[in-house]
Amino acid sequence: MTTKDILKKVRKIEIKTKRLSDHIFGGEYHSSFKGRGMTFSEVRPYAFGDDVRNIDWNVTARYRTPFIKVFEEERELTMLLAVDISASQWFGTRGQLKREMITEIVATLAFSATQNNDKVGLVLYSDEIELFIPPQKGRSHVLRIIRELVDLKPKDTQTNTAKALKFVYNILKKKAIVFLISDFIDQNYEDTLKIVGKKHDLTGVMVYDPMEKEMPDLGLITIKDLETGQAAFVDTSNSKVRRTHNAHFLKRHNYFKKAFQKAGSGIIWVPTNGSYIKKMLQYFNARN
Amino acid sequence: MKNIFGHTQFETPYALLLLLLVPILAIWLYKNRYNERAKFLYSNLAAFGNFKTLKNKIIPVLAGFLLLSIALISVGIARPRSVDVTAKTKKTKGIDIMLAVDVSASMLARDLKPNRLEALKKTAIDFIKKRPNDRFGVVLYAGEAFTQVPITSDHRIVMQAIRKINFRQLFNQLDQGTAIGMGLATAVNRLKDSKAKSKVIILMTDGVNNTGEIDPNTALELAKEFGIKVYTIGLGTNGYAPTPVGVRPDGSFRYQNAKVEIDENLLKKIAQETGGKYFRATDNQKLDKIYKAIDKLEKTEIKETKYYNYKELYRPFVLSAVLLIFLVGILRYTWLKSFV
Repeated sequence: MTTKDILKKVRKIEIKTKRLSDHIFGGEYHSSFKGRGMTFSEVRPYAFGDDVRNIDWNVTARYRTPFIKVFEEERELTMLLAVDISASQWFGTRGQLKREMITEIVATLAFSATQNNDKVGLVLYSDEIELFIPPQKGRSHVLRIIRELVDLKPKDTQTNTAKALKFVYNILKKKAIVFLISDFIDQNYEDTLKIVGKKHDLTGVMVYDPMEKEMPDLGLITIKDLETGQAAFVDTSNSKVRRTHNAHFLKRHNYFKKAFQKAGSGIIWVPTNGSYIKKMLQYFNARN
Repeated sequence: MKNIFGHTQFETPYALLLLLLVPILAIWLYKNRYNERAKFLYSNLAAFGNFKTLKNKIIPVLAGFLLLSIALISVGIARPRSVDVTAKTKKTKGIDIMLAVDVSASMLARDLKPNRLEALKKTAIDFIKKRPNDRFGVVLYAGEAFTQVPITSDHRIVMQAIRKINFRQLFNQLDQGTAIGMGLATAVNRLKDSKAKSKVIILMTDGVNNTGEIDPNTALELAKEFGIKVYTIGLGTNGYAPTPVGVRPDGSFRYQNAKVEIDENLLKKIAQETGGKYFRATDNQKLDKIYKAIDKLEKTEIKETKYYNYKELYRPFVLSAVLLIFLVGILRYTWLKSFV
């Protein structure tokens, strides 16, 4: 991909997701993640309907008209997006790859955060930590995040969620909003998750392809694993094979749900042919 | 290349070298069993477990089928065929050979072992055995001549007749002396009506023409007249040989060294003028050699026609190979629904 292509793609994602975050998400996001408290910001003349409890009597006495104190939520939240960019993300059978959907989700979240004056950071991981962008504010920072997500070629193909979680735990000193976005084709991250979940406001976003859930009858096919590179002949016409495959997915999904619930974290799961907006709105609504 | 499978032979055996390809191909196929193929890139292979279904198991079998069909086609290319040779010997009419044997008393001389006559008998029988397509006859002569066996293709009779030549019996029957002319003429007489392509007389003597009603030169003219080739053999060493010179009262012979006298000029002349050859046999080995030389000179052409009935056997090989390929193809696209 040339720089031009990347920029074009980034722009496309920006347009699509910025509208989302402006019009649909913004508020929901804002109310979902609350700041630490209210701080005084200014006084203004009383208007009908204002809470009388907030009238600033000193100023009112001085000017002989009612003034009201305006408080603003103290935000300055930090959002960290931990994104799995292992090779398994390069799969998708319904219109888009998992990686593409994840990129959109990240962009939407990042724009929503900037809009609400929050800092956004990014951790890209596979088997290793591939990239870390410290939390910052601003549109250009969000665009950079999107660009890295579009462009970065991971050095490793496999997935190590626990390692990524440990890294997140180590770099974040304050409580932060952490989104862990992955397909969760991984195991043994439950314990680490618990530790991170205790400290941070953690949400797990699982993106999967419908074919990962149910394999159609494709006959006898040669399947190559994107992550391990291993190949094998798989008889997808055999119902036992397909049932095993489905059971494996369900087990993985259940592990994901259980692990995050145990950690007191939220979960979103979305198939590549589904609407992540809907799912995320549902999630934010449920939090309020 | 013959007799690999009994009566089967390969027309182009080098094609069998293609069989060497099969193991190489098998190794290559195994090493590249996942490469060179449309692969479905999937995120999580482990999810399918480790089942080996019937279809999984049949993949190597199908590959084996393909290799087998290659092997079968290779064999087919080598063109195996069974040969059924029906050899029909067209017997050309062999030549007719008269053996004119001198049985005069001097034939008992012991310069050849055990004596000239016995040595001659043995060699003559060997000669006859070697020429199965020729007809033979035997004329015996001393002071006069008679036909022991007329020209016949029954070699058994001829050989028996030669074996039975008994000097003592003949000694009493025949006039003494050596009538070469008589012997030759009698032999010519026997051959004159023969329709054989080539007529040959082998004239054997150990002396000089000294009696007889027909002069050797006359007999020679006769032979020439009928187009008969005469090979002449002079028997006896150079110099002296123990020769019977008389009969004792008890019937046994009295031997005395006598000079061997052979009318070589005459024999040479006879041979030369009839297109034959003169030989001198001084001992048994020489005699053997002479007969071998005559055997070579008088080659009979035998036309043997061989009929080769080839039955091409490639068909079942190629057919089964094609069937296998079809089977593999059909299974791939129907039951397996795969491009394996």
